[in-house]
Amino acid sequence: MSTLAIPGQLLGSAAKFQPGPGTHIHESNLYSSLLGSVVITQPAKAPGPTKRLNKIINTTTTPAELPTISVSRSGVSEKQRETLPEVGNIVLCRVIRITPGQAVVAILICGDTVLDAEWQGLIRAQDVRATEKDRVKIYESFRPGDIVRAEVISLGDQANYYLSTARNELGVIIASSEAGNAMYPVNWKEYRDPETGLSEPRKVAKPY
Amino acid sequence: MASTQTLLSPAELAYLHSSLSLTPPIRPDGRSSTQFRPLVAETGILPGTNGSARICFADGTEAIVGVKAEVERTKSALTTTEDETVHRLEGEFVEGLAGAGGNSAGNIDEEDNDGLEGQNEWVELSVEIPGYRDDDSGTVFLSALLTEALLADGNLTKKLRINTRFHWKLYLDILLISPPLSYPLPLLSLTTHLALLSTRLPRLKSEGDEDPFFDDDWAAAPYLYPRENGTSGKATLRPPISLLVMAVGNNIIFDPAKEELAVADVALAVSIGDGKDNNSNAMDTDTRNLRLLSVRTIDPPSRLTPPGVPNATNTAYGAAAGTTAQKQPEARAAESEAVEGVWKPPRGGAKPLVMAALVQKVLEKGGVTDEVLDALDAVELE
Amino acid sequence: MADRRRINGPAGATLPPVYLNEDAQPSDDSKISRTRAANAIRKLYLKTGVTPSASGSAYLEIEAPGGGAVSGLKLSCTVHGPRSLPRSTPFSPHIILSTHVKYAPFATKQRHGYLRDPMERDLGTHLEAALRGAIIADRWPKSGVDVIISIIEGDQDRQTSKSQELGSWETMNALAGCITVASAALADAGIDCVDTIAGGVAALVKDAGDNNSPRIVIDPIPLEHEKILSACCVAYLPTRDEVTNLWFKGDLPASDMELYTQLVETGIQAAKSANLVLVECLHETMG
Repeated sequence: MSTLAIPGQLLGSAAKFQPGPGTHIHESNLYSSLLGSVVITQPAKAPGPTKRLNKIINTTTTPAELPTISVSRSGVSEKQRETLPEVGNIVLCRVIRITPGQAVVAILICGDTVLDAEWQGLIRAQDVRATEKDRVKIYESFRPGDIVRAEVISLGDQANYYLSTARNELGVIIASSEAGNAMYPVNWKEYRDPETGLSEPRKVAKPY
Repeated sequence: MASTQTLLSPAELAYLHSSLSLTPPIRPDGRSSTQFRPLVAETGILPGTNGSARICFADGTEAIVGVKAEVERTKSALTTTEDETVHRLEGEFVEGLAGAGGNSAGNIDEEDNDGLEGQNEWVELSVEIPGYRDDDSGTVFLSALLTEALLADGNLTKKLRINTRFHWKLYLDILLISPPLSYPLPLLSLTTHLALLSTRLPRLKSEGDEDPFFDDDWAAAPYLYPRENGTSGKATLRPPISLLVMAVGNNIIFDPAKEELAVADVALAVSIGDGKDNNSNAMDTDTRNLRLLSVRTIDPPSRLTPPGVPNATNTAYGAAAGTTAQKQPEARAAESEAVEGVWKPPRGGAKPLVMAALVQKVLEKGGVTDEVLDALDAVELE
Repeated sequence: MADRRRINGPAGATLPPVYLNEDAQPSDDSKISRTRAANAIRKLYLKTGVTPSASGSAYLEIEAPGGGAVSGLKLSCTVHGPRSLPRSTPFSPHIILSTHVKYAPFATKQRHGYLRDPMERDLGTHLEAALRGAIIADRWPKSGVDVIISIIEGDQDRQTSKSQELGSWETMNALAGCITVASAALADAGIDCVDTIAGGVAALVKDAGDNNSPRIVIDPIPLEHEKILSACCVAYLPTRDEVTNLWFKGDLPASDMELYTQLVETGIQAAKSANLVLVECLHETMG
């Protein structure tokens, strides 16, 4: 089902749908807030049949079981809608500069979307890894120019988003050596230059 | 300026909003919904001006208005040059042009009318608010609002006409002395009102279209807004006033303080004139003849307040922390129904009926406007 | 406040010569009369996506009535953003909206400078109040959006040789157009809005000639009427039935609240008519 919606168009009752992106609630009805096509996503797990029918059943469906209705621009227009990094998103970013306490990065990709605007992020030393946080040294984890996969943990202050790499699959994914060659990861904390054979320390992201 | 950030937490905003929505509303400073803040007013404080006034609100905000008048040559309607002969020539040119079009008399008549009407550029109003640039949108908005009210009925500019060649140019300089603790519109408007009431222009001694010269005797100078019996009585025709009025829930609240404005559903600036009706010349001095001159929506700062988080979605209160399934980048959660007692900045506008009710309340006979005008009457003019 | 970085035109008024058209019927009056019904707006042309480099854009044109005696209104609106705020701005949980309305130097008979004058800034403030109610600001924390409107051709009568300054009544028409075009551009940019907002103007006018009592018309053109007594410009959200910006100006007796209410109602009617065009245009945008 793909119908067009314009801002302010009534989509349905808030009791029947869960609000998704591009919608808003007004007087317990769902309205579109964007120009785009309407997408209705059924909940991931269909509400399974309750086994003990003789027991008192919770008749009111919990919101998680409702289909989500959303309005999105994608698929209708080739123009990509601008997105913002949000808490919980996985982002790809480039390290701009490092200090002993933090690494300053530029966020390039949020989820699957390439961002138009320049958003700045910050990876603090205590957010680099989950264990032995007090032994983290930023210069042994990142170098300027590295491409890092990180998670947004806070909208931060006026200038920076706060990012974290404190998970196995997060960290440096592309790095180049001091000699300028692209390196390959050898273990969880090292990248190696294939030409000089020298290793450099990094917070390495676990390959998928 | 309306969007001046208020430093109130969502909880405080929710509390304010609900206490102001009660019937009758409970205001933070204990006023009734139509009550104004107490103020001290005086006029004629600046000897170098044609008229001046000062008003000081109880919260310490203070405004001074000075009115200065200068004689200026009236620019002709067609040309910017002030030379009379050129004006004549251009006049003939117009006549010729219009004559080719058929009728010339209509055009000339119109020009004469324009001369009697006075022009809007004859009044120049400037507002200065400390801490704001003079081209700040809020300052510009305030001065546009006050100018609009002054010029709305065309009575003021008519009084500034001296003869066909000369007019008074009136400069109104409005100075807020303290940084604005609340939206300064009522303060500035009331001060301007008093300053204009106390304004006097020198008595004209010349006649007709000759170069004007004036009486040196300041005591003989007539008031810009004439009084009933010479110089002592009340003014018969008065400058306009602009009132700030807002709605919260079902309540209409006058002269809101900054905190109250921060939870307003809608705020209006309503300008009211007090003058005789143009059609009926029955001069009944006891009852006012209020006129609605302008209405403007003030962008309420409530839209820019931080929203509260209901317990149901607050992880500190045991809500499911991991809504991690929704990690697609466009998923903007936090779209929820309004929860009682949790502050949510208002979206959208106001119902037309609410707006009409606000204006109605301002214009009510024997209502707040009358009260304010009565109070201003009581201010002793120098 | 002279702009020293540009070569400015002559200060003061410049009047283009007015030539008499030989074919033109010598009209016995410089005024043209209103041929539309009292409740009809002029024809609108609205199109989104005219500026590819902007996040969203729209173009609005209002037909010129009276065979060229009055120029129509031509507006172009671009929306830039959401984009990151400059580093000096404090943290904001909302999107920060800024609006610029600028008359092109050649838009009206009287040349406009490059710096925005108070009237243009005032228009910008009105537009901001109107749009702020329509957008859902908390969807975009820490970001800003700029709405920039250039008035390419102002709604002004071209023929009278009088050098009149831009009257406030034309300003209201311009504001209504600005609101409608900005709404289309915001939707094109994908900024969350509660509704499609549109602007409308209604006025209490006295017509030339007839001795009738004043009547209320939609979308007034000052040249078409003897005198405009009062007017109001409304920014209206049709599905929510809400007004986000109201600008009334004029001189009405306070005892006649009925007239005021009627005027606002008519303004809302005008906004509804403009909204029909807006909705149609948005459907077209989506193909």
